[in-house]
Amino acid sequence: MRERLEELRGEGLAAVEVASTEDDLREVEVGLLGRKGGITAALKALGKLPPEERPLIGQLANEVKVAIQGAIDVKRSTLGQAALSAELSGEGFDATLPGPALPGGGQHPIQAITRELEDLFLSMGFRIADGPEVELEENNFDALNIPTDHPARESHDTIWITPESQRQGDGRGVVLRTHTSPVQVRALREYGAPLRVVAPGRVFRQEALDATHEHTFHQMEGLVVDKGVGVGHMLHAMNTLIEGVMGRKLETRLRPGFFPFVEPGFELDARCPFCQDGCSVCKGSRWIELMPGGLVHPHVLESAGVDSSEYSGYAFGLGLSRIVMLRYGIDDIRWFMSGSLDFLRQFPA
Amino acid sequence: MLISLNWLSDYVDLSDFSAEQVGELLSLHTAEVEGIEEVGAAIADVVIGEVLECDKHPDADKLSVTRVAYGSNEEVNVVCGAPNVRAGLKVAFAPVGSKLPGNLKIKKAKLRGVVSCGMICSERELEMSDEHGGILELPEDAPVGMPLVEYLDLQDFVIELDNKSLTHRPDLWGHYGFARELAAILGRELRPMELAEVAQEVAPSEPDGRFTIRIEDANSCRFYAGLEVSLDGAGGPSPKWMQRRLRAVGQRPIDLLVDLTNYLLLETGQPTHVFDRTKVRGDLIRVRRAEEGERLKTLDDQERELTNEDLLIADAEGGVALAGVMGGANSEVGDGTSTILLEAAHFAPTRVRRTAHRLSLRTEASSRFEKTLDPVGTWQAVERFVALLRQLRPEARVLGPARVAGSSAPDAVQLELDAVRTVELLGLPLSTDEVSSILRRLGFTVVAKGDQLTVDVPSWRSSKDVRKPIDLVEEVGRLAGYHRIDAQPLVAPIEAIPADPMRSLTRRLGQRLMGAHQAFESQGYTFLQRDWATWLDQRRESFVLVDNPVQDGVDLVRQDWVPSLLDQAAGNWRAVPTGSLFEIGKGYTPQGPGLPAQQRWLCVVLWQRIEDEHHGPGSSFGRARAVAEDLLRVAGVRWAAVPAAAEQLPGGGHPAQSLTYGNGAMLVSTVHPRVRAALDLTDAKLTVVRVDLEALLEAQGRSVSFQPPSKFPAIKCDIALALPANLSFAEIEVALRKAGGKSLVELELFDVYEEGSLAAQGQRSIAFHATLQAGDRTLTDKDEQRFLKKISEVAERLGGSLRS
Repeated sequence: MRERLEELRGEGLAAVEVASTEDDLREVEVGLLGRKGGITAALKALGKLPPEERPLIGQLANEVKVAIQGAIDVKRSTLGQAALSAELSGEGFDATLPGPALPGGGQHPIQAITRELEDLFLSMGFRIADGPEVELEENNFDALNIPTDHPARESHDTIWITPESQRQGDGRGVVLRTHTSPVQVRALREYGAPLRVVAPGRVFRQEALDATHEHTFHQMEGLVVDKGVGVGHMLHAMNTLIEGVMGRKLETRLRPGFFPFVEPGFELDARCPFCQDGCSVCKGSRWIELMPGGLVHPHVLESAGVDSSEYSGYAFGLGLSRIVMLRYGIDDIRWFMSGSLDFLRQFPA
Repeated sequence: MLISLNWLSDYVDLSDFSAEQVGELLSLHTAEVEGIEEVGAAIADVVIGEVLECDKHPDADKLSVTRVAYGSNEEVNVVCGAPNVRAGLKVAFAPVGSKLPGNLKIKKAKLRGVVSCGMICSERELEMSDEHGGILELPEDAPVGMPLVEYLDLQDFVIELDNKSLTHRPDLWGHYGFARELAAILGRELRPMELAEVAQEVAPSEPDGRFTIRIEDANSCRFYAGLEVSLDGAGGPSPKWMQRRLRAVGQRPIDLLVDLTNYLLLETGQPTHVFDRTKVRGDLIRVRRAEEGERLKTLDDQERELTNEDLLIADAEGGVALAGVMGGANSEVGDGTSTILLEAAHFAPTRVRRTAHRLSLRTEASSRFEKTLDPVGTWQAVERFVALLRQLRPEARVLGPARVAGSSAPDAVQLELDAVRTVELLGLPLSTDEVSSILRRLGFTVVAKGDQLTVDVPSWRSSKDVRKPIDLVEEVGRLAGYHRIDAQPLVAPIEAIPADPMRSLTRRLGQRLMGAHQAFESQGYTFLQRDWATWLDQRRESFVLVDNPVQDGVDLVRQDWVPSLLDQAAGNWRAVPTGSLFEIGKGYTPQGPGLPAQQRWLCVVLWQRIEDEHHGPGSSFGRARAVAEDLLRVAGVRWAAVPAAAEQLPGGGHPAQSLTYGNGAMLVSTVHPRVRAALDLTDAKLTVVRVDLEALLEAQGRSVSFQPPSKFPAIKCDIALALPANLSFAEIEVALRKAGGKSLVELELFDVYEEGSLAAQGQRSIAFHATLQAGDRTLTDKDEQRFLKKISEVAERLGGSLRS
């Protein structure tokens, strides 16, 4: 019995020694120390020995068991370390291999900026208003103080639904709106004063297509009417808007501009964001013209039923298409309406 | 509009300002400056030279070999072809390395074997005139080496203003208006224009031995002055100084009379016209409408056919000028003209504009009359004309008093202005005195009573642009300087913005399409080419039609966004064989007079190659359907799919491959083969999803209500059925769900197989993942067996079998 135990010890330790995997170790462990293993069997057979031998053999069997278990634990730890180091070594792994293609869709850049600006103005307590693209002559012109004989109304500037022979000059004709400004009139009529509102949307003009001219383009109208509103408030909103679109503050200046529905009217220039001393975008002037605006003409307030002796307001009209071109460096306005995936793919959602 | 700095300086002292500074002043206070150009910059390198020697070229008859001195100790050999070159002559010389107009660079050259170092210039080469018969001869005392520009006092700067920023300012269409503006901005003196005193008398309506004027359409002509002037044979060119100014602002000098009227127009902004008096037949000038079809040959030698909408200046026999637009060829002045009839008139802006536009004949005159000119300026032009003529041709004689018809009285405009409110609106810290002083500088008359100002508007501003108190606010603001206004945040009560459910719905749907469905948001034209009506099998009248389309034949307004998306899909198709575009926006349909009906749509187009087409859930149609139903899920709307009835299907839809949801509010359809063929997309499979967003918003359910998950485990099993091929999936699904009862919590199609031996028997294989689960107990194998048995029975009842 003693010899058998010594034999098992020798075999066991040797087997542990040569084991190179966890599976090998497990096999040794089960073969010797498991329920049906050799040492377990030896311990079970103790009862058959003469009582005087039992303590000694029992002690020996225990010693063998402990020795083998100890060797297994040591080996297991060694193997574990080796396996961990092997895994951490990175051998056979190329992290630079690409994964599978996960194509995503995209957001139209004009819509992307529109949504950004909507959120910006919502945060300042503006509503977002909307008006039809096919609009009444009255809203597009008359209510905006654009007189009946103003050249802008003629077919070479405006796209008309009403046939020329049926245009009466009574405001009831139908046009494709030439600006987002009719939303000023609609919003004032619907909500009255005081009012803060922006209205993004598409507008239409008779233009021959080229890199900088489109007959279909996008604007965003802003309108604030309240007691005591002045030019300084308009300038503040414009500055905030430009910072929002361009991602940083730009120096700005107001200078005179003429639009029949505002008085006084302005053009807002911003410091060219692309140069320090003149470039092709600012044509060397270091200023770029970004946004017309002005104080809402009393005629516009009155035709929407707002008392112009009590209320004043400002309005601005951002050329969305142009500012999106500036923001992304888009060189040709025709990309916007092209639907070309070569273009759209560059603007991930 | 081009403005010469030298010309401005006749009337306001700008000597301490550079051209850039003047431009900046105008930009900040008046109108948009487009650019500034230095006149003479192109010949800045040209200097005065002296021809020291001049010999015949040994090998060329017409060439001379000269020795030219042009500075301190600089002497070179120059070959010259001019007949008037000779020794001792002072000339304009361009040395080697200098530049001439047209970017011509002077290099050392060999002409017939003789080296030539520079060029002696003609007036045309210097762009001083069209003279090219010989070289420019300078006076004997011209100092050698001095830049030519300096010697001839050619230096000037021209400021270009954006015409569009001047449309509301009739007073700014001549130099004097800008001088007045700058004088006001700088607070400097405005020097008066030199005027001649000219007597006037009311023109009788019939001739009385002298010529007379009759205005027959008073609405189109407010005032007409005519003046006869005898030139006493004095024709010929205008003086050099006048030619220089005209050239500087882009006008080609012609002759004395033409140059004089052009000069007058560019100085005062008032167009005038001169007739050859002897060519005007009879003694009566009629200002009348043209007859329908009446013809007039204009000064540009074009025969014009007129309408009753055109205003004509006519003599006894017919038209002699198209009022406010262009003179007639029949009364044109020329070398032989001895007596002229000067016209200065005030024509109605709209009439002039319409005629000019209809005839595509926009002239310097018509573009000014369009602006509603100052009637006082009309008469002043006569006085300025005579003053200038006397300066150029002292022998010219005015024949009798001018005859005038109509009235040159200005619109009297008096306005009340509240100075305090003015300052509040502008956000500028100005006192009432400062407000008054600014207005006075601009020529307004101001009477102040406390902060209330009574303001009389001068004639040059009252004709059009200053009619209301708010117009004065603008005057005060721009003169004080808008750039001095500080940004100021608006203070207002904090209130929640009312919810905008449509905006939040469209944003969620858009995000979902871009994110989960890899679709690209697009923007397409509102206009469709007229063929789309045919392709969509719709009547042309079912579209809103554009009267003056941007392009011939592109005159339909889209009803929804499917056609434009299909056009864009066609544009992408060759390069991108699988893709998807969507657009959110509005479509229009006619509904009688007034505005057309407007509808908000979300439209998606998906395309792929027919050869890549799968059956079952992976098909294009299946994809489109999955997108549609996912959008319903995102919107929180429970609409069931129903095969589209013919009347719900739009023209481009496929009659057998369409589904609708919510009574037609949402549509999934394969694109009709007719449309595919029209777009040359016969090898593409195209499907569309179209959603009526108003209806979808209407149907939006309440928010999600949470269901606690079952605590008991689920059983998953796959079932494959062989079923008759003509049985629709919808019928099968209903039968299976019924058989599965409450414990069938999920039934997901994963395969449809329509080929092989089954197909030969008129059957197809349909396979599902099924999930069974109960809320109150753990299901066992027995439950699964019972379920499969029921499924098997259903399959047999439907004429098929359970395959596994």
